Amino acid sequence: MQELAVSVQGLVVSYGSYTAVSNLSFSTRTGEIYGLLGPNGAGKTSTLKVVVGVLNPRAGKVEVFGTPLSDEVRAKSQIGYVPEEVVLLDSLTPREFFEFIASLRRLDAAIASSRLEKLTSAFELRQYFDTPIAALSMGNKQKVAIIAALLHDPRLLVLDEPLIGLDARSSRILKELMTFHAKKGGAVIFSTHIMEVAEKLCTRVGIINKGNIVGEGTVSDLRKLVQSAEGSLEDIFLKVTEQEAGMREIIQALENEE
Amino acid sequence: MKLSECWHASRKIYKELSFQAIFSFRSGGLLPQKERKSVEQLVRNAEVNTLISKMITTIFMTIFGAAVFGPLVFGASSGLPKELVLAGGISAFLAVVLSLITIMGLQVTTSLVSSKVAELLSPLPLSKGDASKIIFFCLVRIFDIPLVGAMVILLSAYFLAGGSLVGSVVVFAGISVTELFALASTIVLARFFYTRVASGGGRSRWNAFLRLVFMLVWILPSFGTYLLVNFSTEVVQSFASTTQVVSSSMQYLLLVYPFSFGFLASFATFGGFNYVALSFSLISSITYVGLAVFSLKWVLRYVGSMGIGGYVTVARETVKDTLIKPKVPWLGIVRKDLRVASRSPSYASLFLLPPIQAGVLALSFSSFGEVGLASALGILTGISLVTLVLPPTLLSIEGLASVYTRSFPIRRNTVISAKAALSLSTYFLSLTILLTVTALMQRDFSLILVFGVVHMLSIAAAVLLELLLLANRFWKEGFAVGNIYARLSTYILVLVPGFVVALIPIGAAILTYFIVENLTLIVFFGVAVLELSLMILAITCRK
Repeated sequence: MQELAVSVQGLVVSYGSYTAVSNLSFSTRTGEIYGLLGPNGAGKTSTLKVVVGVLNPRAGKVEVFGTPLSDEVRAKSQIGYVPEEVVLLDSLTPREFFEFIASLRRLDAAIASSRLEKLTSAFELRQYFDTPIAALSMGNKQKVAIIAALLHDPRLLVLDEPLIGLDARSSRILKELMTFHAKKGGAVIFSTHIMEVAEKLCTRVGIINKGNIVGEGTVSDLRKLVQSAEGSLEDIFLKVTEQEAGMREIIQALENEE
Repeated sequence: MKLSECWHASRKIYKELSFQAIFSFRSGGLLPQKERKSVEQLVRNAEVNTLISKMITTIFMTIFGAAVFGPLVFGASSGLPKELVLAGGISAFLAVVLSLITIMGLQVTTSLVSSKVAELLSPLPLSKGDASKIIFFCLVRIFDIPLVGAMVILLSAYFLAGGSLVGSVVVFAGISVTELFALASTIVLARFFYTRVASGGGRSRWNAFLRLVFMLVWILPSFGTYLLVNFSTEVVQSFASTTQVVSSSMQYLLLVYPFSFGFLASFATFGGFNYVALSFSLISSITYVGLAVFSLKWVLRYVGSMGIGGYVTVARETVKDTLIKPKVPWLGIVRKDLRVASRSPSYASLFLLPPIQAGVLALSFSSFGEVGLASALGILTGISLVTLVLPPTLLSIEGLASVYTRSFPIRRNTVISAKAALSLSTYFLSLTILLTVTALMQRDFSLILVFGVVHMLSIAAAVLLELLLLANRFWKEGFAVGNIYARLSTYILVLVPGFVVALIPIGAAILTYFIVENLTLIVFFGVAVLELSLMILAITCRK
């Protein structure tokens, strides 16, 4: 029986007078990889930030495995998060950073070290273990964030554009890990702009536009929604988010300029 | 590009550097979540902060200049010949300008050195020469007001003190050499800071030692400057006294910067020294001018290499294992804070200021007949006030990367415990140093010991109050927007109640001393216990 992993009801997020997310609702279950897709500024990152407790919503209810986010320590203990913009504690080295995180999450030294050994080998981060994060490349910073999210073997993984900056090998490993995580009973929510990845990886996707879910379900569900039997997820996405209209003309105009 | 165009372009880059130096770390990645108005406010704050920093440096110089040259201008006698007072005054002023400019520029120069500026310029269609010119002008903009201010202050003071035309040339040379030395030393320090400390991680003892040395290098000039500005008259007296003992064996002092310029200017104004001394100071001054020209060339070459992307790279250590040693959450936060502070000059100085202040204040006991209640309480007041600046700053460390770290399962009271433990440890360390130095000077330390230990209860209450006020205000909003740079008024409103709590037992003790002397300690102890009990009650009730 699949357990409800995340439940988001009537979420509203505002930045001053600007409303980024408006009355958004969705849910995911264990065993699922839920893809959150949407154009830039649609409200994906704001939604994910609320789910992990980084951002306070103006209204709405969020629960993680039945725990409301107001019980923040219990809810956050079950989450591993990779932010879109990798802003870590730059003056620390990865070792010091992982020590800090393992301390906060009360991890056993031996278990954490053993898990870290496997993860750093998988993501080829070992050689940078004592180099300050500030001096790492964007891809390596991303790897630090991914390892930090996986270190405590969380039940829920929330990954905001996790593949950006990763090399092909690490990208492949991460995708495998996400699939494995869902198979063993965890849940994954991730946002991406790479439609091919979402199509291959996700059990279900939610397409978000102007702060609202405008389409949700499996890829075949969405095909029915747009009344297209064959279109790719990219085609569906462009239709659902109303970005397709006028696109041809714009491309034509740009080509004519040359 | 014309020079004027490069100068104009450097304004934009300088604005960006100021913003990066102050806000890139502290904003914690929260900027995308903010309204446009609020971001614009932060950008303005960054500009105002750098301007304030430059103005404060210039004001310090003006105060010091007034204290040093005032007696000469108004003819007040210090008991020493005016030739020596002028030589000592100019030398002391040059030393202060060198240290103040170096310290002031370190933070922004670190951004310049850490290649961010090259990253900004490299995608633009600029020639290497133009990029180098823009970077050099950025460097000039970092120091513009203090550089011009120092020159104007010294030359004006010199003329008001009865300076001659030839002497003003020497003074001009002296201040120019000083400013070039300051520019070069700031870049050297910033480069060292970036490569070995800020970006130089590593677990080896050598790296840890380097970080400690850097913290001391940062704090000692700051404290030295504080002492110089506060005790300027004594400084000039001692510089003048040192100059007075220029006998044949001490004439080597004339070879040492900044005395060479001080002597030479004094000779050009009043005459009166022997010709050997004049030759020594003239030759060494010319040598220092040569060194300054060399420094200028080095600075130009260095910023030139930055313009073409030849910026510094960071050394990497060989990794032996990937073992980690987690602690309990509050201790994990303490360890993280210490690590962050050891690589950040502004945080490091706050940690080290109370213990160093305690040591320096204890040295002042040498002039006391005995360490009585008044001096013991006075010194405890000084140390406690400096210590109480620490808790809000420690909380602002939580603002670093808060867009990410807020996803961690941290309890508010765990954070408060960690910061309180660290602040109290700093106070305890200061007290220990105070007692040790007092004991070494063979002074009676019983009053400091008793009142200092009891006062720890009051300090604990004050620390908890500050932390609670800030945590209540910023736990939801995020500490990134609660730091001193973003909300100075909030910061001050938090410090004041903390100061009051720390001062209440001291005030009560002084009052009791005059009414019933025997009850002084009992009242002091009672008030401190009461304060701490109330704070613990407030925190417990909050749960």
